[in-house]
Amino acid sequence: MQSNQTFADIFRASGISRRDFLKFCSLTSVYLGLAPSMVPKIVEAMETKPRTPVIWLHGLECTCCSESFIRSSHPTIEDIIFNMISLDYDDVLSAAAGHQLEDVRKKIMQEYKGKYILAVEGNASTRDDGVYCMVGGDSFLNTLKETAADAAAIIAWGACASYGCVQNADPNPTGAAPVSEIVRNKPIVNVPGCPPISEVMTGVVAHFHTFGTLPELDRMGRPKAFYNTRIHDKCYRRAFYDAGMFVRSFDDEATRKGWCLYKMGCKGPTTYNSCSKIQWNGGVSFPIGSGHPCIGCSEPNFWDKGSFYERLAEVSFLGTDSNADRIGVIAVGAAAAGAAAHAAVTAVKKAKAGKDSEEKA
Amino acid sequence: MGRIIEEIYVWRLPVRLYHWINALCTVVLLVTGMYIAAPVINPPLGEAVWYKGMAWWRYLHFATAFIFIANFLFRMYWALFGNDRYARFGGFRPWSPAWWGKPFREQVESYLFLRRDEPNYVGHNPVAALAHFLFIFCGSSFMILSGLAMYGENNPGGFSETFFGWLIPLFGGSYSLHFAHHLMAWIFPLYLIIHLYAVFRHDVVDRTSVTSSIVTGYKHKVEEEPS
Repeated sequence: MQSNQTFADIFRASGISRRDFLKFCSLTSVYLGLAPSMVPKIVEAMETKPRTPVIWLHGLECTCCSESFIRSSHPTIEDIIFNMISLDYDDVLSAAAGHQLEDVRKKIMQEYKGKYILAVEGNASTRDDGVYCMVGGDSFLNTLKETAADAAAIIAWGACASYGCVQNADPNPTGAAPVSEIVRNKPIVNVPGCPPISEVMTGVVAHFHTFGTLPELDRMGRPKAFYNTRIHDKCYRRAFYDAGMFVRSFDDEATRKGWCLYKMGCKGPTTYNSCSKIQWNGGVSFPIGSGHPCIGCSEPNFWDKGSFYERLAEVSFLGTDSNADRIGVIAVGAAAAGAAAHAAVTAVKKAKAGKDSEEKA
Repeated sequence: MGRIIEEIYVWRLPVRLYHWINALCTVVLLVTGMYIAAPVINPPLGEAVWYKGMAWWRYLHFATAFIFIANFLFRMYWALFGNDRYARFGGFRPWSPAWWGKPFREQVESYLFLRRDEPNYVGHNPVAALAHFLFIFCGSSFMILSGLAMYGENNPGGFSETFFGWLIPLFGGSYSLHFAHHLMAWIFPLYLIIHLYAVFRHDVVDRTSVTSSIVTGYKHKVEEEPS
């Protein structure tokens, strides 16, 4: 396979008609939230630009991002993009293995120096020289630093690479750290979620390929196109939230009627993701659609923020197990008790002072 | 009761208005905020479009919050440019060691029953000034900033999100900011208890009509009881 093929070349070689190719470009523009006038740009980029080489590394992770990426019920988009991006190194999906595969990574790093995209799934252990995650005979910490040095940009797939996820949940025994804490001098796109939605993943890659730039990012380094709004704001159960119609237990009538899951601990109101827009598995459903509260998997440290089934739940506060309301009630109770005690002492003193003056008189 | 020997006009009308608007807003914000955190009223039967069960509580919370903010900003203006000797920031200098000196120490000792006589101030005593700074100034500022950051969440790119959205990553996510906002709300009932107790106690001990002064504006000096 020649190395500088464009997307359009691959489409043609695979027997995909131009009509289907244009359909794919239109759909990609829709997923990226672009105006129809941008479709010709996507078509042009797909036809003229060589494929963007991608090195996909796996650190401390569960491969759910890859699972999300490859597993979708609409093969048209996801599979085509998966087959079409020049995924030159991926230690999970590659046919090659061992030194053969590691050589490919070194070769791509040299040939496309400063041009390839580094996609990182999972994060690196930083304690004890990264010994808790060894890949290919070296620590993942070293591999990540080495591969990141010549990358054009880094995509941090999933909650692990973006924020740390379960690996760096308290007490974080391996010192797991997200990519942004290890690589500081490269543009990083955080694509959080456990896993992220497959269309979001492919959309980010397509954006870079089309425009040669990273998508517009928000304050937490996430593509605005997919992480600009909360799940809550686009949730189809929002009407029940505004009406105050809530599910109160998982077997009540409200559950069957599909009312709002806010009181069941739904993190939709504090979670930025596209689940309620794009949905999962090619638009089949998403957690809230299936009757389960959102657990907020695309938010930082979501493992350490208490129960998935309570709002503002038993959040660990300054090393205690108290929640906000318990701390508040104790503080207010203590203040009331203190005031009462102070009043009692004042009364006693005043009475005594009165007696003293009477005695004097 | 001794005879009133002097009337002093302490709290001018803007200060009294601020106080009561602030008190009312704080209570409404507390009640609606706690309801939003844990909506307890049982859902009505029927169509969601018929009801505004949660929406009204939120609307009330946000509308009151904007009155609270305007009132707070007005008070800041009054403190800085109102030329009001009992309502200005002038005497409050916690960065200066002198401020923590004798008057502050004496007031603390008095509250701890370590001295017999009660220092008497026409305006706020130094301990009260410190409490107001911590609870009302710092507390309100935090609630306003974090509240605006969360208010901006439903309109990305809008005013609140653009100018206050930076608090969300600062607190490590929207959920943590909600938690902090909820936790900090408790300082207001806490302050209310301390505030009411201190006012009533001072009125009983000093007999300066401090309780009614926030309605009438006047404090009184009373003749010592004949002994």
